[in-house]
Formats: sequence, C-alpha cells, structure tokens
Amino acid sequence: MNDFFAALSADNLSYLLQGLGVTVGVSIFSIIISLIVGSFVGIAMFEKIPYFSSLIGTLNNIVRNLPLLLIIFFTYFSLPQVGIRLPIFWSTVVAMSFFEAAMLSEIIRGGLESIDKGQFEGARSTGMSNKQTMLYVIMPQAYKKMIPPLISQLISLVKDTSLASGIVLADLTYRGQVVYAQNSHYIVPILIFMTFAYFVVNYLLSLLAKYFDRKLA
Amino acid sequence: MSMIEFKDVEKYYGHFHALKDINLKIDAGETVVLIGPSGSGKSTLIRTVNGLEEIQEGQLIVDGYDLHDPKTDMNKIRKNVGMVFQHFNLYNNKSVLENIMLAPRLVLKRDEAENKKIAMELLERVGLADKADNMPSALSGGQKQRVAIARSLAMKPKCLLFDEPTSALDPEMVGGVLKVMREIAQDSDMTMLVVTHEMDFAKAVADRVIFMADGAILEDASTEEFFKAPKNERAKQFLSQVDSH
Ligand SMILES: Nc1ncnc2c1ncn2[C@@H]1O[C@H](COP(=O)(O)OP(=O)(O)OP(=O)(O)O)[C@@H](O)[C@H]1O
Ligand SMILES: [Mg+2]
Repeated sequence: MNDFFAALSADNLSYLLQGLGVTVGVSIFSIIISLIVGSFVGIAMFEKIPYFSSLIGTLNNIVRNLPLLLIIFFTYFSLPQVGIRLPIFWSTVVAMSFFEAAMLSEIIRGGLESIDKGQFEGARSTGMSNKQTMLYVIMPQAYKKMIPPLISQLISLVKDTSLASGIVLADLTYRGQVVYAQNSHYIVPILIFMTFAYFVVNYLLSLLAKYFDRKLA
Repeated sequence: MSMIEFKDVEKYYGHFHALKDINLKIDAGETVVLIGPSGSGKSTLIRTVNGLEEIQEGQLIVDGYDLHDPKTDMNKIRKNVGMVFQHFNLYNNKSVLENIMLAPRLVLKRDEAENKKIAMELLERVGLADKADNMPSALSGGQKQRVAIARSLAMKPKCLLFDEPTSALDPEMVGGVLKVMREIAQDSDMTMLVVTHEMDFAKAVADRVIFMADGAILEDASTEEFFKAPKNERAKQFLSQVDSH
C-alpha cells in the first residue's frame, strides 16, 4: 500500500527538491530582510523616540496579532490592485518579511531591555555616544541573549513558508500535495519525505545558531 | 576657578521634588565628600553633574559648560567628568583591559599602542595588572571597583564623581578601594566629589563636607569644622548615628 519507490521516483524527487529550493529561497530572503527590518524596528521601540516609537509599537502589535496566512493572502491579492505586481515568490517574501520583522523586533526590543541600565551609564559616563554605547556594549550582550528566541522564531518562519501553498506558491508543501494527489499510496511516503526535508533545513539552521552563539561568547 | 557650580538648581522626578534650591561651588582640585541619610538626594545630585539626570530649573555649570542648555554636548563634558558607581558597571562583554581601553579608543581616538600602555600602567597602579585578560565576572567586588576606577582615569578626566563606591563591597574589600581613591586625591589635581558613608575616609581626604537631607543642602563646611561640631541639628544627629556603627 505505501509505495516508497514510485512515490520518490527520480521525476517526483526532482520535482519535490525544486519545491524545497523554493522553500529555502523564500526562507533565506525573508530571514535576511526580517532580521534587518526587525532590528531597526526593535531598536526604534527600545529608544523611546517620542511619538515614533509608540506609533511603531502600535503597528507592530497589530501585525503580530494577525494570522500570517491572512497577511500572505492580503499581500498577494491586494498589491496588484495598487499597481504592484510581484511574482508569487516575492509576494510571499514580502508577506513573510513583514510579519516576521514584527515578531523579531519584539524579541530584539526585549533583549535590549534585559540589559542592565548600569551598562549604559558606565559607557555614557566615559563620554561614549549613544550609538557607540549601543554598538560596542549593549548590542553584543543583547544579541547573545536573543539568539535562542531568535532561532526558534526563524525555525517557525521556515515552517510557516508552507502557508504560502495556499496561494499556490510551488514550495515543498504544495508540491508534496501535488505528488500525493496522483496516488493515495504516495501519501505517507511523501509526508515522511517532507518531514525529513523540513527537519534537515531547520536542523542546519540550529547548527548555524550554535556556531554564532559560540563566536559571540 | 570653579569646576562645578550649582545656581538655584531644582530637580523633579515627576511631581517629586528631589533637589531643592541647590547652590554649591566646587573648585578645581578640591575633594568634596557628600553625606546624608538614605533618600536625601545624594545620588541624584552627583548624577546631575555628568548629565545622567536632568535638572528642571536653575543653572549647572560644569567645566565651563551650562548643562541646562540644550545646545551643550553632554559627551564633551563626560569626557572630562568620570564616574564610579556603587555597582561598578563594568562592561560584561569585555575583558578588564578592554573595559579600560574602549572609551579612549572611541572617544579620544588614542593611538592603540599608547592606549594599551596607559591602560596597563593604570592596572599596575590599582594592583591588578595580572587580571588584564580576565573577564569582569572573574573578579571580586573590590577588584571590579578598582578596574572601574582605572577605566575612569584612562580618560584623564578633570573631575571624578564617586557614588558610594564601597557600599556594595564586603568589608575586607573596602580598604583597597579607599586606598586607591586616597592616592588619586593626594597625587593628582583632579576634582573629586564623593558620596560615601566612610567617615574616616572623609576625615582623611576631604577638603570639605556637604550634608544633605530631604533634597536640600543643610551644611557645607570645611572637613575640620564639620567633624568638630556640625552646626546643623540633623547633621549632628546623622554623625552620631554613623559614628555609633
Ligand atoms: N528615577 C527616579 N524616579 C523617581 N524618584 C526617584 C528616582 N530616583 C530617585 N528618586 C527619589 O529621589 C529621592 C532621592 O534619591 P537618591 O537616590 O538621590 O537618594 P540617595 O541620597 O542617593 O539615597 P541612598 O543613600 O539610599 O543612595 C528618593 O526619595 C528617591 O525615591
Ligand atoms: Mg544613592
């Protein structure tokens, strides 16, 4: 009944691996963009700039409380209406980056706030500017504390790319469904393959995290 | 020339009136000890001097700059006014040597070899040259505080502020820190403003003693006069309590 060999034929495998490529591609772009944007937003919220910080904080709260799927749909269907036509790949990257930046910014703000105020005062009292203090004293300590929650958020980012199969992004999950729709004997083998593939990607991500963790220590 | 001058300074935390009509002049090279009961505003006053706390009214002139003027560049003043904290505030992510070298490198753009030489000399001076490569977490409280003092001195400030530098230390660690402070007071022409409960230190080192209570300065006298017979009633009370410890 489970037909592993036919399910994972060379054709199917190559088709699935291309899907994995799409998943990894969307993830990598979204991770890079959301880390950059999330850092700026997190720092902006932390700095308590009048009006600006609370505005960003409110927007952030709204985004964080929406389902990611809704944001993916919204980006895909509404951007064309304002004249922005993106291929489905980039539309997904935009939606994921938007959502994940909001999630990451909260982790980054929290990490910055967990640093003792004395570290600031020590640095500022030697004449270092706010920027120098953040760069050389606060952020290195904060990022070290943030690594575990950042990584678990990024791992869920990779998993959540599968939501974009809902707008027919040809990622791993979508292609898995296409393959097992051909033959019900393929379902379990394909699901096992997908499990394995997501696991490998995320396991590599956590190894990368351990590497950075050690480098920062 | 005066290094620090408070003119009719008022400081509020929200509605709480923390500093009341402060008038105070400290000359360059003077060593002044600030005492008073808990909550009297000693930390608040000393922290206004390098702008860690803002004042709401009056004038506060430090090293010729008016701190209440929004145009004043605070970092310029802090370059010349160091601070030593009760809880040391060493950078947890930097070695002892890096703690000392960081600000001179970034703020003064001191040449790297020169920077290291000065830092090592300072570590020598506070008796911790062998700890240069340790992380702060590997030091005792007294050692941390001596590193913190070296970190301040590395900027070659004109003025050093100390906010209860020995209060968080085990008793056997206090002596070493006070000794370093005494040497600074005696060997340099730096202005020192020290909040402390160490009366023996005050007697030995201070030129002047200032007594605060409830946000106001109640007595400002030479060390000798103050310890012989404080004029203010509350100062008298305070002294007798401290002495009985
Ligand atoms: N950030 C703040 N916000 C509100 N009130 C404050 C703040 N900092 C200090 N205060 C209040 O101001 C008063 C003076 O505090 P301060 O820390 O200057 O006293 P202190 O003389 O240094 O006391 P201690 O000997 O306990 O260190 C206290 O009543 C304190 O509660
Ligand atoms: Mg205090």
